[in-house]
Amino acid sequence: MRIFQNLNINFLGKRTIFYFISATLILLGFLNILTRGLHLGIDFKGGTEIALQFEKPIDITQIRNDVDNLGLGSVEVKTFGSSNDILLRTDLQEIPANVIPKVKSKIESIISNTFPGLQKHTTDSTSTTITIKFPDNRTAEILNNKLFEAGFQTSKAIDDTSNTSVIVRFAVSDLLKENLAANYKNNPFIILKEDKVGPKVGQELKKDAVIAVMLSLVVILIYISFRFKFTFAIGAVVALFHDVLITLGLFSVLYGVIPGLNLEFSLTVVAAFLTLIGYSMNDTVVVFDRVREHLKLHKTLPLEENINQAINKTFSRTIITGLATVFSIIVLIIFGGEVLRGFAFALFIGMITGTYSSIFVASAFVLEYATRAHKKIEF
Amino acid sequence: MKELRFRIILITGAIALCLYLLYPTYKDYQNNKEVTVQLEGLQQSIKKSSPSFTNAQIKDIIASKKDSILTNNPDYRSAREKRIKLGLDLQGGMYLVMEVNTAKLLEKLARDPDDQYKQILKSAEAESKDSDENVVSILARKMNQQNIRMSRYFGSIREDDAAITSKLLQQESDAVTRAIEIISNRVNQYGVSEPSIQKQGSRRIVIELPGIAREEEAKRLLQGSALLEFKLVKDADFAIPIMNQIDQALAGKTGKDTASAKKDVASKTDTTKKDQKLTDEQFAKEHPFFTVARLLDPQGRIADAFVKESDRDKINAYLENPDVKKVVPDNIEFIYDAKPETDPNGDKYYRMYMVNKEASLTGGVIVDAQANIDPTTSAPIVNMQMNTEGSRDWAQITGSNINKRCAIVLDGVVYSAPNIIGKIPSGNSQITGSASLDEAKLLEIVLKAGALPAPIDILEQRTVGPSLGQDSISQGFNSAWIAYLLVALFMAFYYKKAGTFADAALVLTILLSLGVLAAFQATLTLPGIAGIVLTMGMAVDANVLIFERIREELTTGKTPKAAVDAGFKISFSAIFDSNITTLLTGIILYQFGSGPVQGFALTLIIGIVTSLFSQLILVRIIFDFILAKGYKINVG
Repeated sequence: MRIFQNLNINFLGKRTIFYFISATLILLGFLNILTRGLHLGIDFKGGTEIALQFEKPIDITQIRNDVDNLGLGSVEVKTFGSSNDILLRTDLQEIPANVIPKVKSKIESIISNTFPGLQKHTTDSTSTTITIKFPDNRTAEILNNKLFEAGFQTSKAIDDTSNTSVIVRFAVSDLLKENLAANYKNNPFIILKEDKVGPKVGQELKKDAVIAVMLSLVVILIYISFRFKFTFAIGAVVALFHDVLITLGLFSVLYGVIPGLNLEFSLTVVAAFLTLIGYSMNDTVVVFDRVREHLKLHKTLPLEENINQAINKTFSRTIITGLATVFSIIVLIIFGGEVLRGFAFALFIGMITGTYSSIFVASAFVLEYATRAHKKIEF
Repeated sequence: MKELRFRIILITGAIALCLYLLYPTYKDYQNNKEVTVQLEGLQQSIKKSSPSFTNAQIKDIIASKKDSILTNNPDYRSAREKRIKLGLDLQGGMYLVMEVNTAKLLEKLARDPDDQYKQILKSAEAESKDSDENVVSILARKMNQQNIRMSRYFGSIREDDAAITSKLLQQESDAVTRAIEIISNRVNQYGVSEPSIQKQGSRRIVIELPGIAREEEAKRLLQGSALLEFKLVKDADFAIPIMNQIDQALAGKTGKDTASAKKDVASKTDTTKKDQKLTDEQFAKEHPFFTVARLLDPQGRIADAFVKESDRDKINAYLENPDVKKVVPDNIEFIYDAKPETDPNGDKYYRMYMVNKEASLTGGVIVDAQANIDPTTSAPIVNMQMNTEGSRDWAQITGSNINKRCAIVLDGVVYSAPNIIGKIPSGNSQITGSASLDEAKLLEIVLKAGALPAPIDILEQRTVGPSLGQDSISQGFNSAWIAYLLVALFMAFYYKKAGTFADAALVLTILLSLGVLAAFQATLTLPGIAGIVLTMGMAVDANVLIFERIREELTTGKTPKAAVDAGFKISFSAIFDSNITTLLTGIILYQFGSGPVQGFALTLIIGIVTSLFSQLILVRIIFDFILAKGYKINVG
């Protein structure tokens, strides 16, 4: 079967139309990022994310109310795949000061229920922990376990060598889980996943992600100018920027628009960006390779004609490979599960823009540059 | 035909090697099924005995139980060890990044810290949150700015700031080492399969615990205080009779009076002689306890016994037996060595001690400890200093227990059980008998764990429940074969016969990719599976380029052979360049990514290499074969 036999389309002749399309898309995304922002996941922002699976289907608005009643402030509640599963996310690092007394009184009541009138004193109290010293080792041991069973993170205090102090840690995730467990006694849940990222780690991950993307652009720039010409390298990198910007923009535009599609900017999405950089490059190089070949063969033909021919000759391959790849990405979006969906979606947009940009951005840039600089490109 | 032979051998060899490498993975999968069937009964009984558990909870319990069987049972273990490793996101588990809280450590290390010091420390801590600089260096800089000498709070007056700073940095690094030792010790005791505990940078610890069912428990395990104790080891005269009684009680001979039991001990040598005549089976029946707890010294001069790693559960169960409980005094307990000894068969044996349940002394009294080489004997030694209060007790303990052993116990396991040679009045003790300086260093770490706790914070924590892991595996697996089917049909449809060659190359690509993963013991993650699925789509690219080129060459009127030759030859530069760029981004991703993302980068890189191999070599062989046989080629 042949769909694109003897194709002869003047792709570059229509390049202004495509410049317009690209510019509009980028501008749209840019405005969106400026106004709505990019929704960074907890990987970069720091925070807590818990996915829970209830035994029976749950009403998400009711859970939202329950969580709101805790007074924590910003906690997102979303569905996670099926109607039994929910995702709770918050960028809170610690329990807000106004909720802490509630938590403390709960700890007090557990202690006084176990040993009424027990002599104890709080030796240390921070925004995330409270250290209580008990009269003897055995009481400390029992209360350590009791509080642990009640859903607190407890341990014997490291710095008290007499082993009579207990540290009680209260994390946002524990508070959320404990509250839901108490409210849904007849619909218990298990934890599908739980992630907690500290602000420092979030910062580092962000830095690493930016370095990785920049570094790969630089590496590609060097490789292409070494294998082709510097003009081509610039064209390729401009195309990559184009792809990254459009995908980024669409991520911001489509956030929260499509139900069930979680377009948070997470570590795996960065992986998708690097993959799309690789893929888009792949496509561009194939076109460039053909341009190089044509420039060697037809030295007298104008550059525009040569590039057009190269694009036409490789068009069939561009579409077939693109289709095969898009097939597998769609499979991932549909069957890959909740965890991979955002990742697969980023790839999906990236593949399309990548294919598009190798023709209309990378090649067009080379042509524009060569005509403006009155440069003759020869291999 | 002849020129094909080498390449055919190459491909066949590669396939055979991959199948060999992947066999354990297949075997493990089969074992998994087998164990699942075995555990069905258990699942039913849990449901009956504790109806309060939800289905999901039971599923999690069964999943972690299954994991522990597959990793601990020797029949299954070898397959499990050689299979493709699954990442935490697929098998469930916990990933933690912990960091030693240097500020807290500095607070403790300082001599008479006043308000001024506390203030400087606080601001240094705040500053360190937004910078890469170490708290110690920030503190040093700040004190320097305020013209305060470091020696006011640390070290001795003669030392300059630089010396003290480097000492403090050493202390910090020691704290990390200590924390790692404490964590490893606990993780081993907890029985986590294939844990990984690594130091990252100067003060971070990265911990991976696969198959943790209860994350709260695990977190607690890692954060609690370390308890160092000194416990007196029971003499053989006391211990052997009790062990004999345990043995008898288990064998069902509880009627035997103590006198005859004593006789048994007295003639322990006879017993062993007599037992030698017994078959293993009979011995096991008559001496259940000594079958699993093999006495170190057949003469019974010391009561230590070796217990095989897998038998430790058995011992615990024996000690819970009501008949046994009757004969074991309340004030003793059995504890094990921290590190096992390995016999030539690779089985691990732990030394078991009978000790006083109550600690004679706890580690809080230790002020300092250092491992050294004794200048006179050049043997490794550990020096230990205690505070005044500890020294007093220690003098009394050592004085009244000369020639007895005292076990150094951290979190319930023994690190050393030195013999008390004489009374130690000053609290300055010297422990000899370490096999190497490394062992002495370990003992130093353990002793310091009592003196100087290492406060650690959790920076990052990621937990995946076993059920989500299972779901992810099946989703990944389904995506992979559906994607293959789609791409394969598409290729066959568009390029006809040549398309099916590409499909064959795709199968080879996947086989090789998995083989390489198994060979390098690499970890497969969910994004890694996504990488394989993506490879399916991208891997046909080289073939598409070649086929398109062959079509073009055929239309220019070339012979099929010339067209195929040209197709492969001319497309090569495009294939090479385009794959190199993807490979480069893959490598960058591997460098900067962590955990699951690295898994993706890895399968992407492997996929590029293997797909090039199969598309350029396998497909070429098929074409050459067809041309040599004189069949028609068909590129659609």
